[in-house]
Amino acid sequence: MIFLGLFRESILFAFHALVVNKLRTILSLLGITIGIFAIIMVFTVVDSLEQNLRKSVQSLGDDVVFIQKWPWAFSEDYPWWKYMNRPLPDYTELDEVLRGCDGAQSAAFVATSRITVKYQSSSIENVTIVMASHQYDKVKNFEIAEGRYFTDIESSAGRPVAVIGDVLAKALFPMQDPLGKTIKVNGAKVTVIGVFKKEGESILGGSPDTQVLVPVNYARSLVDIRDESLDPQIMVRAKPGVTNDDLISELTGLMRSVRKIKPAGEEDFALNQTSLISNQFDSLFGIIGIAGWIIGGFSILVGGFGIANIMFVSVKERTNIIGIQKSLGAKNYFILLQFMFESVFLSFIGGLIGLLIVFMITLFAGDSFGMEIVLSRSNVILGFTISILIGVVSGFVPAYTASQMDPVEAIRSN
Amino acid sequence: MQAIQIKRPVLLTVVCIIGFIWVVVSLPGVFAPEVKKIGDWMPAIFGFIRASMFISMIGVWYMKRWGVRLFIIVFFIKESVFLLIDNTNYFSIALSIFFISSMLAYYKRMDPNL
Repeated sequence: MIFLGLFRESILFAFHALVVNKLRTILSLLGITIGIFAIIMVFTVVDSLEQNLRKSVQSLGDDVVFIQKWPWAFSEDYPWWKYMNRPLPDYTELDEVLRGCDGAQSAAFVATSRITVKYQSSSIENVTIVMASHQYDKVKNFEIAEGRYFTDIESSAGRPVAVIGDVLAKALFPMQDPLGKTIKVNGAKVTVIGVFKKEGESILGGSPDTQVLVPVNYARSLVDIRDESLDPQIMVRAKPGVTNDDLISELTGLMRSVRKIKPAGEEDFALNQTSLISNQFDSLFGIIGIAGWIIGGFSILVGGFGIANIMFVSVKERTNIIGIQKSLGAKNYFILLQFMFESVFLSFIGGLIGLLIVFMITLFAGDSFGMEIVLSRSNVILGFTISILIGVVSGFVPAYTASQMDPVEAIRSN
Repeated sequence: MQAIQIKRPVLLTVVCIIGFIWVVVSLPGVFAPEVKKIGDWMPAIFGFIRASMFISMIGVWYMKRWGVRLFIIVFFIKESVFLLIDNTNYFSIALSIFFISSMLAYYKRMDPNL
Protein backbone atom coordinates (compact mmCIF):
# COMPACT_ATOMS: atom_id res chain seq x y z
CA MET A 1 0.00 0.00 0.00
CA ILE A 2 2.84 2.36 0.87
CA PHE A 3 4.44 1.61 -2.47
CA LEU A 4 1.18 2.31 -4.29
CA GLY A 5 0.85 5.58 -2.42
CA LEU A 6 4.39 6.57 -3.39
CA PHE A 7 3.72 5.39 -6.94
CA ARG A 8 0.67 7.65 -7.18
CA GLU A 9 2.54 10.53 -5.60
CA SER A 10 5.44 10.23 -8.04
CA ILE A 11 2.98 10.29 -10.97
CA LEU A 12 1.38 13.45 -9.56
CA PHE A 13 4.80 15.06 -9.10
CA ALA A 14 5.70 14.22 -12.70
CA PHE A 15 2.39 15.52 -14.00
CA HIS A 16 2.72 18.72 -12.01
CA ALA A 17 6.23 19.31 -13.39
CA LEU A 18 4.91 18.93 -16.93
CA VAL A 19 1.93 21.26 -16.39
CA VAL A 20 4.06 23.98 -14.74
CA ASN A 21 6.55 24.10 -17.66
CA LYS A 22 4.04 24.18 -20.50
CA LEU A 23 6.26 25.60 -23.25
CA ARG A 24 9.10 23.20 -22.46
CA THR A 25 6.65 20.29 -22.37
CA ILE A 26 5.19 21.27 -25.76
CA LEU A 27 8.63 21.65 -27.33
CA SER A 28 9.77 18.27 -26.05
CA LEU A 29 6.51 16.69 -27.17
CA LEU A 30 7.09 18.05 -30.65
CA GLY A 31 10.25 15.97 -31.18
CA ILE A 32 8.55 12.69 -30.31
CA THR A 33 5.35 13.67 -32.12
CA ILE A 34 7.23 14.33 -35.36
CA GLY A 35 9.27 11.12 -34.93
CA ILE A 36 6.26 8.90 -34.28
CA PHE A 37 4.29 10.65 -37.02
CA ALA A 38 7.11 10.08 -39.55
CA ILE A 39 7.66 6.43 -38.79
CA ILE A 40 4.01 5.40 -38.40
CA MET A 41 2.93 7.39 -41.46
CA VAL A 42 5.58 5.64 -43.58
CA PHE A 43 4.59 2.23 -42.21
CA THR A 44 0.88 2.96 -42.67
CA VAL A 45 1.30 4.01 -46.30
CA VAL A 46 3.62 1.07 -47.06
CA ASP A 47 1.32 -1.45 -45.33
CA SER A 48 -1.76 -0.08 -47.10
CA LEU A 49 0.03 -0.12 -50.46
CA GLU A 50 1.22 -3.69 -49.87
CA GLN A 51 -2.22 -4.84 -48.75
CA ASN A 52 -3.90 -3.28 -51.80
CA LEU A 53 -1.35 -4.75 -54.19
CA ARG A 54 -1.65 -8.20 -52.67
CA LYS A 55 -5.45 -7.95 -52.82
CA SER A 56 -5.18 -7.03 -56.50
CA VAL A 57 -2.84 -9.95 -57.17
CA GLN A 58 -5.10 -12.34 -55.26
CA SER A 59 -8.06 -11.23 -57.38
CA LEU A 60 -6.18 -12.67 -60.36
CA GLY A 61 -6.25 -16.04 -58.63
CA ASP A 62 -3.59 -17.85 -56.58
CA ASP A 63 -4.27 -21.14 -58.32
CA VAL A 64 -4.47 -19.83 -61.86
CA VAL A 65 -1.76 -20.34 -64.49
CA PHE A 66 -1.65 -17.94 -67.45
CA ILE A 67 -0.46 -19.29 -70.81
CA GLN A 68 1.00 -16.25 -72.58
CA LYS A 69 3.63 -15.14 -75.05
CA TRP A 70 5.67 -13.08 -72.60
CA PRO A 71 6.85 -14.15 -69.15
CA TRP A 72 6.13 -11.89 -66.14
CA ALA A 73 9.43 -12.45 -64.40
CA PHE A 74 12.30 -10.34 -65.59
CA SER A 75 15.92 -11.11 -65.03
CA GLU A 76 19.10 -9.22 -65.94
CA ASP A 77 19.74 -11.36 -69.02
CA TYR A 78 16.15 -11.08 -70.22
CA PRO A 79 16.31 -12.45 -73.82
CA TRP A 80 13.40 -10.37 -75.14
CA TRP A 81 14.45 -10.89 -78.73
CA LYS A 82 13.71 -14.63 -78.37
CA TYR A 83 10.19 -13.93 -77.16
CA MET A 84 9.44 -11.54 -80.00
CA ASN A 85 8.93 -14.34 -82.54
CA ARG A 86 6.85 -16.57 -80.32
CA PRO A 87 3.32 -17.38 -81.49
CA LEU A 88 0.38 -15.96 -79.54
CA PRO A 89 -1.87 -18.30 -77.57
CA ASP A 90 -4.66 -19.35 -79.89
CA TYR A 91 -8.33 -19.97 -79.22
CA THR A 92 -7.99 -23.48 -80.69
CA GLU A 93 -5.34 -24.30 -78.06
CA LEU A 94 -7.98 -23.77 -75.36
CA ASP A 95 -9.81 -26.92 -76.53
CA GLU A 96 -6.58 -28.91 -76.32
CA VAL A 97 -6.01 -27.65 -72.77
CA LEU A 98 -9.57 -28.44 -71.69
CA ARG A 99 -9.34 -31.91 -73.26
CA GLY A 100 -5.83 -32.91 -72.32
CA CYS A 101 -5.02 -31.29 -68.96
CA ASP A 102 -6.13 -33.51 -66.06
CA GLY A 103 -5.02 -31.05 -63.40
CA ALA A 104 -7.15 -28.21 -64.81
CA GLN A 105 -10.51 -27.52 -63.22
CA SER A 106 -11.44 -24.86 -65.78
CA ALA A 107 -9.80 -22.80 -68.50
CA ALA A 108 -10.73 -19.75 -70.52
CA PHE A 109 -9.38 -17.85 -73.49
CA VAL A 110 -9.21 -14.12 -72.71
CA ALA A 111 -8.28 -11.04 -74.73
CA THR A 112 -8.68 -7.37 -73.80
CA SER A 113 -8.93 -4.14 -75.71
CA ARG A 114 -10.07 -0.52 -75.39
CA ILE A 115 -13.36 0.55 -76.97
CA THR A 116 -16.02 3.25 -76.92
CA VAL A 117 -19.35 2.41 -75.31
CA LYS A 118 -22.53 4.39 -76.12
CA TYR A 119 -26.04 4.44 -74.81
CA GLN A 120 -28.36 6.98 -76.42
CA SER A 121 -26.59 10.32 -76.01
CA SER A 122 -24.12 9.05 -73.39
CA SER A 123 -20.74 7.94 -74.61
CA ILE A 124 -17.71 6.64 -72.70
CA GLU A 125 -14.36 6.26 -74.37
CA ASN A 126 -11.42 4.03 -73.49
CA VAL A 127 -13.50 1.37 -71.77
CA THR A 128 -11.79 -1.99 -71.26
CA ILE A 129 -13.54 -4.76 -73.12
CA VAL A 130 -12.81 -8.30 -71.95
CA MET A 131 -13.46 -10.94 -74.56
CA ALA A 132 -13.63 -14.31 -72.87
CA SER A 133 -14.69 -17.87 -73.48
CA HIS A 134 -17.43 -19.49 -71.42
CA GLN A 135 -15.47 -20.73 -68.38
CA TYR A 136 -14.16 -17.23 -67.61
CA ASP A 137 -16.46 -17.03 -64.57
CA LYS A 138 -14.75 -20.15 -63.19
CA VAL A 139 -11.15 -18.96 -63.60
CA LYS A 140 -11.60 -15.30 -62.62
CA ASN A 141 -12.83 -14.19 -59.20
CA PHE A 142 -15.81 -11.86 -59.60
CA GLU A 143 -19.42 -11.59 -58.51
CA ILE A 144 -22.46 -10.45 -60.43
CA ALA A 145 -24.67 -8.03 -58.52
CA GLU A 146 -27.57 -7.82 -60.96
CA GLY A 147 -28.64 -10.07 -63.80
CA ARG A 148 -26.63 -13.11 -64.82
CA TYR A 149 -23.54 -14.47 -66.60
CA PHE A 150 -23.65 -15.78 -70.20
CA THR A 151 -25.29 -19.11 -70.86
CA ASP A 152 -23.34 -21.84 -72.66
CA ILE A 153 -25.31 -21.22 -75.86
CA GLU A 154 -24.75 -17.44 -75.72
CA SER A 155 -21.01 -18.03 -75.38
CA SER A 156 -20.64 -20.69 -78.06
CA ALA A 157 -23.01 -19.01 -80.55
CA GLY A 158 -21.40 -15.62 -79.95
CA ARG A 159 -24.59 -13.74 -79.06
CA PRO A 160 -24.30 -9.95 -78.61
CA VAL A 161 -24.66 -9.93 -74.82
CA ALA A 162 -22.53 -8.21 -72.19
CA VAL A 163 -21.92 -8.01 -68.49
CA ILE A 164 -20.85 -4.48 -67.54
CA GLY A 165 -19.08 -2.95 -64.57
CA ASP A 166 -20.89 -1.12 -61.77
CA VAL A 167 -19.26 2.26 -62.46
CA LEU A 168 -20.04 1.94 -66.15
CA ALA A 169 -23.67 0.97 -65.43
CA LYS A 170 -24.14 4.01 -63.19
CA ALA A 171 -22.55 6.30 -65.77
CA LEU A 172 -24.54 5.01 -68.73
CA PHE A 173 -27.84 4.36 -66.97
CA PRO A 174 -28.28 6.88 -64.16
CA MET A 175 -31.52 6.15 -62.27
CA GLN A 176 -32.32 3.30 -64.68
CA ASP A 177 -32.12 -0.48 -64.63
CA PRO A 178 -29.36 -1.42 -67.10
CA LEU A 179 -30.60 -4.99 -67.59
CA GLY A 180 -32.08 -5.59 -71.03
CA LYS A 181 -30.87 -2.23 -72.39
CA THR A 182 -28.92 -2.16 -75.64
CA ILE A 183 -25.56 -0.41 -75.66
CA LYS A 184 -23.29 0.22 -78.62
CA VAL A 185 -19.82 -1.29 -78.40
CA ASN A 186 -17.67 0.18 -81.17
CA GLY A 187 -20.90 0.76 -83.05
CA ALA A 188 -22.30 -2.78 -82.63
CA LYS A 189 -25.46 -3.35 -80.57
CA VAL A 190 -25.01 -5.44 -77.43
CA THR A 191 -27.63 -6.29 -74.79
CA VAL A 192 -26.71 -5.85 -71.14
CA ILE A 193 -27.56 -9.03 -69.24
CA GLY A 194 -25.62 -8.47 -66.03
CA VAL A 195 -23.76 -5.98 -63.84
CA PHE A 196 -20.59 -6.84 -61.88
CA LYS A 197 -20.57 -6.29 -58.14
CA LYS A 198 -18.58 -3.12 -57.28
CA GLU A 199 -15.02 -4.00 -56.28
CA GLY A 200 -13.29 -0.63 -56.15
CA GLU A 201 -10.16 0.39 -57.94
CA SER A 202 -7.35 -2.09 -58.32
CA ILE A 203 -3.74 -0.87 -58.16
CA LEU A 204 -2.75 -3.30 -60.90
CA GLY A 205 -5.67 -2.13 -63.02
CA GLY A 206 -8.25 -4.51 -64.43
CA SER A 207 -11.02 -3.69 -61.96
CA PRO A 208 -14.31 -5.07 -63.33
CA ASP A 209 -16.05 -1.82 -62.28
CA THR A 210 -15.21 -0.18 -65.59
CA GLN A 211 -15.17 -3.24 -67.84
CA VAL A 212 -17.45 -4.71 -70.46
CA LEU A 213 -17.36 -8.50 -70.69
CA VAL A 214 -18.52 -10.10 -73.94
CA PRO A 215 -18.28 -13.67 -75.29
CA VAL A 216 -15.09 -14.11 -77.31
CA ASN A 217 -17.06 -15.71 -80.15
CA TYR A 218 -19.07 -12.50 -80.48
CA ALA A 219 -15.94 -10.33 -80.14
CA ARG A 220 -14.48 -11.96 -83.27
CA SER A 221 -16.96 -9.86 -85.28
CA LEU A 222 -15.70 -6.68 -83.59
CA VAL A 223 -11.94 -7.15 -83.47
CA ASP A 224 -9.21 -9.50 -84.62
CA ILE A 225 -8.63 -11.60 -81.51
CA ARG A 226 -5.25 -12.77 -82.87
CA ASP A 227 -3.94 -9.24 -82.65
CA GLU A 228 -0.96 -9.06 -80.25
CA SER A 229 -2.15 -5.74 -78.79
CA LEU A 230 -5.14 -7.59 -77.27
CA ASP A 231 -2.76 -9.67 -75.14
CA PRO A 232 -4.52 -12.99 -75.83
CA GLN A 233 -3.98 -15.56 -73.09
CA ILE A 234 -5.37 -18.82 -71.76
CA MET A 235 -6.17 -18.82 -68.04
CA VAL A 236 -6.12 -22.27 -66.42
CA ARG A 237 -7.35 -22.89 -62.87
CA ALA A 238 -6.01 -25.92 -61.00
CA LYS A 239 -8.29 -28.57 -59.55
CA PRO A 240 -8.51 -28.59 -55.73
CA GLY A 241 -5.49 -30.47 -54.39
CA VAL A 242 -3.41 -29.84 -57.53
CA THR A 243 -0.52 -27.48 -56.90
CA ASN A 244 0.47 -24.76 -59.34
CA ASP A 245 3.82 -26.50 -59.87
CA ASP A 246 2.06 -29.74 -60.86
CA LEU A 247 -0.28 -27.84 -63.16
CA ILE A 248 2.63 -25.96 -64.76
CA SER A 249 4.51 -29.21 -65.28
CA GLU A 250 1.48 -30.82 -66.94
CA LEU A 251 0.74 -27.73 -69.05
CA THR A 252 4.36 -27.55 -70.19
CA GLY A 253 4.16 -31.08 -71.59
CA LEU A 254 0.75 -30.47 -73.11
CA MET A 255 1.67 -27.15 -74.76
CA ARG A 256 4.90 -28.61 -76.12
CA SER A 257 2.92 -31.42 -77.78
CA VAL A 258 0.21 -29.00 -79.03
CA ARG A 259 2.85 -26.76 -80.60
CA LYS A 260 4.90 -29.75 -81.76
CA ILE A 261 8.12 -28.64 -80.08
CA LYS A 262 10.97 -31.14 -80.38
CA PRO A 263 12.35 -32.64 -77.12
CA ALA A 264 15.50 -30.50 -77.36
CA GLY A 265 13.63 -27.43 -78.61
CA GLU A 266 13.01 -24.32 -76.52
CA GLU A 267 9.51 -23.58 -75.33
CA ASP A 268 7.71 -20.86 -77.27
CA PHE A 269 5.20 -19.98 -74.56
CA ALA A 270 5.29 -18.63 -71.02
CA LEU A 271 3.43 -20.11 -68.07
CA ASN A 272 2.88 -17.30 -65.58
CA GLN A 273 1.42 -17.38 -62.09
CA THR A 274 0.59 -14.67 -59.54
CA SER A 275 3.38 -15.78 -57.20
CA LEU A 276 5.83 -14.30 -59.76
CA ILE A 277 4.33 -10.85 -59.06
CA SER A 278 4.10 -11.49 -55.30
CA ASN A 279 7.79 -12.44 -55.12
CA GLN A 280 8.75 -9.20 -56.84
CA PHE A 281 6.58 -7.27 -54.35
CA ASP A 282 8.33 -8.98 -51.42
CA SER A 283 11.70 -7.59 -52.43
CA LEU A 284 10.22 -4.17 -53.32
CA PHE A 285 8.43 -3.80 -49.98
CA GLY A 286 11.50 -5.08 -48.18
CA ILE A 287 13.45 -2.12 -49.59
CA ILE A 288 10.66 0.41 -48.90
CA GLY A 289 10.33 -0.95 -45.35
CA ILE A 290 14.05 -0.50 -44.70
CA ALA A 291 13.93 3.06 -46.11
CA GLY A 292 10.99 3.90 -43.81
CA TRP A 293 12.79 2.27 -40.93
CA ILE A 294 15.90 4.44 -41.46
CA ILE A 295 13.90 7.69 -41.89
CA GLY A 296 11.76 6.93 -38.83
CA GLY A 297 14.75 5.70 -36.83
CA PHE A 298 16.59 9.00 -37.20
CA SER A 299 13.46 11.01 -36.37
CA ILE A 300 12.95 8.94 -33.22
CA LEU A 301 16.62 9.30 -32.29
CA VAL A 302 16.34 13.10 -32.49
CA GLY A 303 13.14 13.02 -30.41
CA GLY A 304 14.84 10.77 -27.84
CA PHE A 305 17.80 13.14 -27.49
CA GLY A 306 15.31 16.00 -27.02
CA ILE A 307 13.58 14.16 -24.17
CA ALA A 308 16.91 13.22 -22.54
CA ASN A 309 18.07 16.83 -22.76
CA ILE A 310 14.87 18.16 -21.22
CA MET A 311 15.06 15.58 -18.43
CA PHE A 312 18.64 16.59 -17.58
CA VAL A 313 17.52 20.23 -17.45
CA SER A 314 14.56 19.22 -15.30
CA VAL A 315 16.83 17.33 -12.86
CA LYS A 316 19.25 20.27 -12.70
CA GLU A 317 16.41 22.72 -12.06
CA ARG A 318 14.88 20.66 -9.29
CA THR A 319 18.08 19.52 -7.61
CA ASN A 320 17.30 21.32 -4.34
CA ILE A 321 13.74 19.96 -4.34
CA ILE A 322 15.22 16.48 -4.75
CA GLY A 323 17.52 17.24 -1.82
CA ILE A 324 14.58 18.32 0.35
CA GLN A 325 12.54 15.26 -0.66
CA LYS A 326 15.44 12.94 0.16
CA SER A 327 16.15 14.62 3.48
CA LEU A 328 12.48 14.21 4.39
CA GLY A 329 12.82 10.46 3.77
CA ALA A 330 12.09 9.98 0.08
CA LYS A 331 13.62 6.73 -1.17
CA ASN A 332 15.88 6.54 -4.20
CA TYR A 333 13.26 4.62 -6.17
CA PHE A 334 10.69 7.35 -5.43
CA ILE A 335 12.93 9.99 -7.05
CA LEU A 336 13.74 7.56 -9.88
CA LEU A 337 10.07 6.81 -10.56
CA GLN A 338 9.16 10.50 -10.39
CA PHE A 339 11.53 11.42 -13.22
CA MET A 340 10.89 8.22 -15.15
CA PHE A 341 7.15 8.88 -15.17
CA GLU A 342 7.77 12.41 -16.34
CA SER A 343 9.88 11.17 -19.24
CA VAL A 344 7.59 8.25 -20.20
CA PHE A 345 4.47 10.40 -19.86
CA LEU A 346 6.04 13.08 -22.05
CA SER A 347 6.97 10.70 -24.83
CA PHE A 348 3.71 8.76 -24.52
CA ILE A 349 1.68 11.94 -25.05
CA GLY A 350 4.01 12.88 -27.93
CA GLY A 351 3.45 9.46 -29.50
CA LEU A 352 -0.31 9.71 -28.95
CA ILE A 353 -0.45 13.07 -30.75
CA GLY A 354 1.69 11.66 -33.58
CA LEU A 355 -0.67 8.68 -33.94
CA LEU A 356 -3.71 10.97 -33.85
CA ILE A 357 -2.27 13.05 -36.69
CA VAL A 358 -1.69 9.87 -38.73
CA PHE A 359 -5.22 8.73 -37.95
CA MET A 360 -6.68 12.09 -39.03
CA ILE A 361 -4.70 11.94 -42.29
CA THR A 362 -5.96 8.42 -43.02
CA LEU A 363 -9.53 9.59 -42.33
CA PHE A 364 -9.25 12.62 -44.60
CA ALA A 365 -7.30 10.77 -47.30
CA GLY A 366 -9.98 8.06 -47.53
CA ASP A 367 -9.37 6.34 -50.83
CA SER A 368 -8.42 9.50 -52.71
CA PHE A 369 -5.03 7.99 -53.64
CA GLY A 370 -6.70 5.16 -55.51
CA MET A 371 -6.38 2.90 -52.48
CA GLU A 372 -7.64 2.79 -48.92
CA ILE A 373 -5.07 3.98 -46.36
CA VAL A 374 -5.70 2.36 -42.98
CA LEU A 375 -3.91 2.84 -39.67
CA SER A 376 -3.63 -0.79 -38.58
CA ARG A 377 -3.70 -2.12 -35.02
CA SER A 378 -0.12 -3.34 -35.34
CA ASN A 379 1.04 0.18 -36.26
CA VAL A 380 -0.84 1.68 -33.30
CA ILE A 381 0.85 -0.82 -30.95
CA LEU A 382 4.19 -0.06 -32.63
CA GLY A 383 3.68 3.69 -32.19
CA PHE A 384 2.95 3.38 -28.46
CA THR A 385 5.78 0.87 -28.00
CA ILE A 386 8.32 3.18 -29.59
CA SER A 387 7.17 6.23 -27.65
CA ILE A 388 7.25 4.41 -24.29
CA LEU A 389 10.60 2.83 -25.19
CA ILE A 390 12.09 6.22 -26.02
CA GLY A 391 10.71 7.63 -22.77
CA VAL A 392 12.31 4.83 -20.74
CA VAL A 393 15.66 4.84 -22.56
CA SER A 394 16.12 8.61 -22.70
CA GLY A 395 14.72 9.27 -19.23
CA PHE A 396 16.48 6.57 -17.24
CA VAL A 397 19.95 8.13 -17.03
CA PRO A 398 18.72 11.58 -15.82
CA ALA A 399 16.26 9.88 -13.43
CA TYR A 400 18.92 7.56 -12.04
CA THR A 401 21.37 10.46 -11.63
CA ALA A 402 18.69 12.33 -9.67
CA SER A 403 17.96 9.31 -7.48
CA GLN A 404 21.66 8.94 -6.57
CA MET A 405 22.11 12.54 -5.42
CA ASP A 406 23.47 13.33 -2.01
CA PRO A 407 20.65 15.22 -0.17
CA VAL A 408 22.99 17.72 1.51
CA GLU A 409 24.77 18.57 -1.73
CA ALA A 410 21.44 18.72 -3.55
CA ILE A 411 19.86 21.17 -1.06
CA ARG A 412 22.94 23.42 -1.25
CA SER A 413 22.86 23.69 -5.04
CA ASN A 414 21.35 26.77 -6.69
CA MET B 1 23.85 10.08 2.81
CA GLN B 2 26.50 9.86 0.12
CA ALA B 3 25.99 7.30 -2.66
CA ILE B 4 28.71 4.65 -2.53
CA GLN B 5 31.26 5.21 -5.31
CA ILE B 6 32.95 1.97 -6.38
CA LYS B 7 35.71 2.11 -8.97
CA ARG B 8 34.60 0.25 -12.08
CA PRO B 9 37.09 -2.32 -13.47
CA VAL B 10 38.31 -1.82 -17.05
CA LEU B 11 36.72 -5.10 -18.16
CA LEU B 12 33.27 -3.95 -17.03
CA THR B 13 33.79 -0.56 -18.70
CA VAL B 14 34.53 -2.37 -21.96
CA VAL B 15 31.51 -4.67 -21.43
CA CYS B 16 29.25 -1.68 -20.74
CA ILE B 17 30.49 0.28 -23.78
CA ILE B 18 29.96 -2.75 -26.05
CA GLY B 19 26.60 -3.30 -24.35
CA PHE B 20 25.47 0.30 -24.92
CA ILE B 21 26.50 0.15 -28.58
CA TRP B 22 24.74 -3.21 -28.92
CA VAL B 23 21.51 -1.83 -27.43
CA VAL B 24 21.61 1.37 -29.50
CA VAL B 25 22.32 -0.56 -32.72
CA SER B 26 19.61 -3.13 -32.03
CA LEU B 27 17.04 -0.55 -30.85
CA PRO B 28 15.77 0.26 -34.38
CA GLY B 29 15.33 -3.50 -34.83
CA VAL B 30 12.31 -3.18 -32.54
CA PHE B 31 10.35 -1.58 -35.34
CA ALA B 32 11.89 -3.55 -38.21
CA PRO B 33 9.23 -4.84 -40.65
CA GLU B 34 10.38 -8.43 -40.01
CA VAL B 35 9.61 -8.12 -36.29
CA LYS B 36 6.15 -6.71 -37.00
CA LYS B 37 5.43 -9.62 -39.32
CA ILE B 38 6.00 -12.14 -36.48
CA GLY B 39 3.11 -10.67 -34.49
CA ASP B 40 1.39 -7.42 -33.52
CA TRP B 41 2.83 -7.48 -29.98
CA MET B 42 6.34 -8.54 -31.00
CA PRO B 43 7.72 -4.96 -31.25
CA ALA B 44 6.42 -4.32 -27.71
CA ILE B 45 8.14 -7.48 -26.38
CA PHE B 46 11.38 -6.65 -28.23
CA GLY B 47 11.14 -3.07 -26.98
CA PHE B 48 10.74 -4.23 -23.39
CA ILE B 49 13.80 -6.51 -23.78
CA ARG B 50 15.95 -3.73 -25.30
CA ALA B 51 14.89 -1.15 -22.70
CA SER B 52 15.60 -3.62 -19.86
CA MET B 53 19.02 -4.43 -21.34
CA PHE B 54 19.82 -0.73 -21.51
CA ILE B 55 18.77 -0.19 -17.89
CA SER B 56 20.78 -3.21 -16.73
CA MET B 57 23.85 -1.82 -18.51
CA ILE B 58 23.44 1.48 -16.65
CA GLY B 59 23.22 -0.51 -13.42
CA VAL B 60 26.48 -2.31 -14.24
CA TRP B 61 28.09 1.02 -15.24
CA TYR B 62 27.30 2.35 -11.75
CA MET B 63 28.56 -0.96 -10.25
CA LYS B 64 25.14 -1.97 -8.94
CA ARG B 65 24.23 -5.59 -8.29
CA TRP B 66 20.69 -5.08 -9.59
CA GLY B 67 22.21 -4.36 -13.01
CA VAL B 68 23.76 -7.84 -13.16
CA ARG B 69 20.57 -9.50 -11.90
CA LEU B 70 18.44 -7.62 -14.41
CA PHE B 71 20.85 -8.48 -17.25
CA ILE B 72 20.65 -12.21 -16.40
CA ILE B 73 16.83 -12.14 -16.21
CA VAL B 74 16.59 -10.27 -19.51
CA PHE B 75 19.04 -12.72 -21.11
CA PHE B 76 16.78 -15.67 -20.27
CA ILE B 77 13.61 -13.86 -21.37
CA LYS B 78 15.27 -12.79 -24.62
CA GLU B 79 16.57 -16.25 -25.46
CA SER B 80 13.20 -17.85 -24.58
CA VAL B 81 11.44 -15.45 -26.98
CA PHE B 82 14.02 -16.11 -29.70
CA LEU B 83 13.67 -19.85 -29.14
CA LEU B 84 9.89 -19.58 -29.47
CA ILE B 85 10.12 -17.73 -32.77
CA ASP B 86 12.96 -20.00 -33.93
CA ASN B 87 15.44 -17.17 -34.33
CA THR B 88 18.30 -18.19 -32.06
CA ASN B 89 21.50 -16.24 -32.64
CA TYR B 90 24.54 -18.07 -31.31
CA PHE B 91 26.78 -15.01 -31.50
CA SER B 92 24.34 -13.08 -29.31
CA ILE B 93 24.24 -15.96 -26.79
CA ALA B 94 28.05 -16.18 -26.70
CA LEU B 95 28.36 -12.40 -26.22
CA SER B 96 25.74 -12.42 -23.46
CA ILE B 97 27.49 -15.31 -21.66
CA PHE B 98 30.78 -13.40 -21.87
CA PHE B 99 29.03 -10.33 -20.41
CA ILE B 100 27.42 -12.33 -17.61
CA SER B 101 30.69 -14.06 -16.64
CA SER B 102 32.52 -10.71 -16.61
CA MET B 103 29.80 -9.17 -14.45
CA LEU B 104 29.69 -12.14 -12.06
CA ALA B 105 33.47 -11.99 -11.64
CA TYR B 106 33.08 -8.56 -9.98
CA TYR B 107 29.65 -9.16 -8.46
CA LYS B 108 30.93 -9.20 -4.85
CA ARG B 109 32.57 -5.80 -5.32
CA MET B 110 29.31 -4.25 -6.48
CA ASP B 111 26.91 -2.11 -4.45
CA PRO B 112 23.83 -4.11 -3.30
CA ASN B 113 21.68 -0.95 -2.98
CA LEU B 114 19.59 0.77 -5.66
